[in-house]
Amino acid sequence: MEIYQQLADATQEVFQSMLAMEIAPQAEIGTPPESFSETVSGMVGMGGLYKGIVAVHAPYPLAKKITSQFLMTDVDEINDDVLDAFGELANMLAGSIKAMLSSSGKDIQLSVPSSVSGEKYTLDINRSQGTHLIVPFETEAGQLLIQLHFEKQNGG
Amino acid sequence: MGKQILIIDDSNTMRKIIGRSLRQAGLEYDKVLEAGDGAEALKILESEKPDVILSDINMPNMDGIEFLRQKKANDKIKNIPVFMITTESAADVINEAINLGAKGSIKKPFTPEQIQNTLGGI
Repeated sequence: MEIYQQLADATQEVFQSMLAMEIAPQAEIGTPPESFSETVSGMVGMGGLYKGIVAVHAPYPLAKKITSQFLMTDVDEINDDVLDAFGELANMLAGSIKAMLSSSGKDIQLSVPSSVSGEKYTLDINRSQGTHLIVPFETEAGQLLIQLHFEKQNGG
Repeated sequence: MGKQILIIDDSNTMRKIIGRSLRQAGLEYDKVLEAGDGAEALKILESEKPDVILSDINMPNMDGIEFLRQKKANDKIKNIPVFMITTESAADVINEAINLGAKGSIKKPFTPEQIQNTLGGI
């Protein structure tokens, strides 16, 4: 699916240019996970012509590694820096997805990023309609999941 | 007085990355000022006069567009060059920023080379 490849390409571009990290996508995961354990999730919501969410999920070791790369300093705990970094990752991907879904970009609005982390939590995303994609990337520090859900709105 | 830059972004991580990218691009500033949104930036500009400003667009409280609007209306600061550094891809939004006085924009994600190409002449 074209949008799957675009999402994978956008993720690789972010990791290459901002983190100097080479990552390669794996085969698509059919069913997006609902519950997470010892994970950090950064999210940005979409509204307007399309509503939906872009989320970046990483287990603690990978989240710390990504944030360490971002900040060029050792990060050894899940703290505000990690949450902020994951919000920014989701924000950059959401900007790319917005450009994919809308030629003008003006008809899609993005929320400010938010992040969560925890030993165990669930994300309640309406999966009854619309398009759902998960692009997994395997790394030495764990599996990165890029999640996209979007649904075209009536009149759009 | 040495060269100063003001970086406006609600993400502390992004402000640090931009600062590092400036150094990697060979752009040295004696003082790097930071603000978390447009309102905080306007407060800083009451007492500081940076040579250039890099601003995000999508921020809580006061976004980059409103910051440009208020800066343009203030004779003391309206001539400080501003470049947008943003995930925003909408041509209409970028054009609105340009019409409000922004000199250009850098798309996130970015490389130090892109920063150098945009800011090198300032």
